[in-house]
Amino acid sequence: MSEVLSWVFAVLFVLVVIAWYLSYTAARVDRLHVRLSGTLAALDARLVRRAEAAVELANSGLLDGATSLILANAAAESLEAPAEHGEARELAENDLTEALDLALTPDVVSSLRSSALGEDVLGRLSSACLRVQLARRFHNDAVTDVRRMRRTWTIRLFHLAGHTPMPHTVEFDDASPEHLVAV
Amino acid sequence: MRIGIVCPYSFDVPGGVQFHVRDLAEHLIGQGHEVSVLAPADSETELPDYVTSAGRATAVRYNGSVARLNFGPVTAAKVNRWLDAGQFDVLHLHEPVTPSISVLALMAAEGPIVATFHTSMLRSRTMQTAYPIIRPSLEKISGRIAVSEDARRTVTTHVGGDAVVIPNGVYVDRFASAPRRSAWIGTPASPTIAFLGRMGEPRKGLPVLAAALPDVLRSIPGLRVLVAGPGDPDEVTEGWPPEVRAACEFLGSVSDDDKASLLASVDVYVAPNTGGESFGIILIEAMSAGACVLASDLSAFSRVLDGGTAGAMFANEQPDDLARTLVDLLRRPERRAELAAAGQHRARLFDWSVVADEILAVYETVIEGRAAADFQPQGRWNRFLRGGSR
Repeated sequence: MSEVLSWVFAVLFVLVVIAWYLSYTAARVDRLHVRLSGTLAALDARLVRRAEAAVELANSGLLDGATSLILANAAAESLEAPAEHGEARELAENDLTEALDLALTPDVVSSLRSSALGEDVLGRLSSACLRVQLARRFHNDAVTDVRRMRRTWTIRLFHLAGHTPMPHTVEFDDASPEHLVAV
Repeated sequence: MRIGIVCPYSFDVPGGVQFHVRDLAEHLIGQGHEVSVLAPADSETELPDYVTSAGRATAVRYNGSVARLNFGPVTAAKVNRWLDAGQFDVLHLHEPVTPSISVLALMAAEGPIVATFHTSMLRSRTMQTAYPIIRPSLEKISGRIAVSEDARRTVTTHVGGDAVVIPNGVYVDRFASAPRRSAWIGTPASPTIAFLGRMGEPRKGLPVLAAALPDVLRSIPGLRVLVAGPGDPDEVTEGWPPEVRAACEFLGSVSDDDKASLLASVDVYVAPNTGGESFGIILIEAMSAGACVLASDLSAFSRVLDGGTAGAMFANEQPDDLARTLVDLLRRPERRAELAAAGQHRARLFDWSVVADEILAVYETVIEGRAAADFQPQGRWNRFLRGGSR
């Protein structure tokens, strides 16, 4: 009789351990997903701020008309791009990076730096660009962590990730305008 | 912003990470942020008022060297109390993969976490063993910083994911304004060069310099070599030719002010390090002080010197090449002045004002992400589970 009881307890113990492990893993996945949605929201906010800084530069009257138009157009594309990160969004952000790089030639940068308004706008723009880089890097780190975690068999077998779609890294050229960094 | 910084290494002994933490904390406090640092320290060690001691550190062999760390349940409780009392907006951990208070803080913390990786010599075997234990905690880090490209490679290969590279900071102005000392200033007939670092440690490269000196002295007999750093001169100079020994002056350990003055006074600062340098902050200090730098072509040094435009380089562990480059530099004052000016300009990129701004941008990004995530509704069951991982 006591042998049966100890077997029952052993089985119960194993079940409890399995249950604990599963709920612990589920909590881990959930925590990662929370982190992921946070980094994505941060990236979104940073991209909007970069586009706004670009619009500000385009409207400042410090650039020539043609360059202003190119820049304003690229910034508008970025602001109007669909909120979820897909190929269209990445293309728009790529275009904005390129437009900023084209607009800010060494001559333009040095003439902008000579006026207080220009210095102000450039400062905001370069800090916005740096923050886009950080936000994208941190988001992609979170994506890597989530994807690695979700490849494990426990999570696939017990469907611990629920219906959350598998995340993808966000890829676009986020380099700061070449002549803006060189002080 | 309320910032909590955790330094895993004891404040009893000075070291690169400790200096980094101290300078960063002081700079942030100067900008008006509230900063608290948690670090191991003896009760006798005098601590700045922003540092909280996590108790006495024990010397442990870890990852191939002896580190002074602390751990154990009492320490864990201390870390928890510090976290609870601090209510930090962001927690900044240094070296999160050493068995120390950084790991304890990482396991206990709930809020936004930033981690800085300093080392470039993490052994993969250590990582493989530690991996399953530490992985769930590492996933809590939302912003990873590496102090150099080498440190970043360590993160990508061993930890996974990526890191942003933010170099160590230097107070450029402290070095730039250092007074020159006449005893250390060279003359055309008797120029001075400086070596800094632990003499007895071969990877600091003093033997390479010593091997190059006979050649240099043949061309420039009046050369004076100023050697600063801890170590026993008699032991180190054993087997050196007498003329080399006569050219060297041993200054012993020097204070920070003396170091700055030395770098500002000499004609050439030589950094013959043979390896194990992940960053080379001493080069930036020398550049800030306006010294002409001659360094071995380690990849870390090459990056600091911008591929040789902000300082001269020689082939690593090649005394012949060192001798040739050094003689050439000593004979051409205009070249030295050119390199020194380029170096001083480049050093500005590593000033604390620049570096701390980047670190603050990381804090802001991480906090913003966390705020957005917290906005989403959470069930009681979720909170209960997450509380379990606390």
